[in-house]
Amino acid sequence: MSEFERDPIIDKVRDTLRSAPHVAPDQRAVARVLSSVWESPPPSGWRRFFNTWRVPALSGLGAGALAVGALLIGFVTRGAVNPKQQPEPLAATGAPTGEFPVQTVAFDAEAALVQTQFVFEHGDAESISVVGDFNDWKGEAMPLTRMPNGLWTTTVPLPPGRHVYSYLIDGTLLVADPRAPKSGDADYGNEGSVVMVFAR
Amino acid sequence: MIKHRVLFVALVLASVSVAPALRAQGSRVLNIADARARAAVEREIAQAEARGLPVRPLIAKAQEGVTKRATGERIRVAVASQARRLEQARDLLAPSPSEAELVSGADALAVGVPAPMLRKVRAAYPAGHSVAMPLDVLTELVARGVPANHALEQITQLMTRGATPTQIASLGASVQADVAAGLTPDAALEVRARGVMSLLPSPAAAAALAPRGSRP
Repeated sequence: MSEFERDPIIDKVRDTLRSAPHVAPDQRAVARVLSSVWESPPPSGWRRFFNTWRVPALSGLGAGALAVGALLIGFVTRGAVNPKQQPEPLAATGAPTGEFPVQTVAFDAEAALVQTQFVFEHGDAESISVVGDFNDWKGEAMPLTRMPNGLWTTTVPLPPGRHVYSYLIDGTLLVADPRAPKSGDADYGNEGSVVMVFAR
Repeated sequence: MIKHRVLFVALVLASVSVAPALRAQGSRVLNIADARARAAVEREIAQAEARGLPVRPLIAKAQEGVTKRATGERIRVAVASQARRLEQARDLLAPSPSEAELVSGADALAVGVPAPMLRKVRAAYPAGHSVAMPLDVLTELVARGVPANHALEQITQLMTRGATPTQIASLGASVQADVAAGLTPDAALEVRARGVMSLLPSPAAAAALAPRGSRP
């Protein structure tokens, strides 16, 4: 007999049941009980939550592996929900204003970013991207697309304000925008261009 | 079994709390070939961070140097200069400037806007209203050759009359275009400021419309 079965209360219940006369079960009562069990409400969310913790029996190695997985998920999701992350550029919707160096073509009010078009003319480049304080001067972040007419262009969402930028040609040559006002560069002595971005 | 569950929960919590810090450190890895120079730049950034300055503008300044193929030492000096300007801007734009305001203030100082002018710009808008755009426009006007005193006077006048940041930005862009078209910077500012001013309510009307206790 197991320790569980030696419980004095259970012993008393067992004795009582053994001494009682045998009675055939009432089928309707059984049906009522089964029916009420069937119709009973599902467990609450909290109960379901705690029930899930009954299932896994993890080894130390398994727990460690899951924690590493959680760490990776932490990295990925934090990047995905970074509030400072800029949305994908929207399609240009407005007519060019004719002003240099860029045309502000749409206003993304929700993100408070202004869609801003960059245009650069360069005949024989393999790749051109715009780098500036808005993308931390990272080379390949905002590539321009070559048009059939030889112009290169891209439209990117920028926060309102004054921005300094340059074009990076073939990943090596940094040039200022010839159509834009120049910016001084007290720190590196490498002149860039300036664009004032604001919602029109 | 319970011990393992507790261990698992503890590891998950630790992972969630450590991941952002690791990620932030990862974003600080700079592509500076010279290991000693890279370490020196890292130290500058860490010291600035310890002084409560935002790190992102400093990393951007370092990355700018990498893109511009500056030497490691020059990048370090540039990062240190940017940190000094950010710190100065923080004092001048007190009590609680945002990161954007600090960066705008640092840019203004970099192009030669006299430091006390930042304080005057801050005072021209009610507390809590960002002065990043007015500072950007002041910077741009001075960079285009407008005397700093004249630029400050026009901008703060617009601000106290209730001009919005967008209206002030349009002033900067218009002056920029006018100067490129051949107008003198002073003349361009004069005429464009008058244009924006004409859109604003008169000082008396602004005062009457303003809720009690607020600035015009």
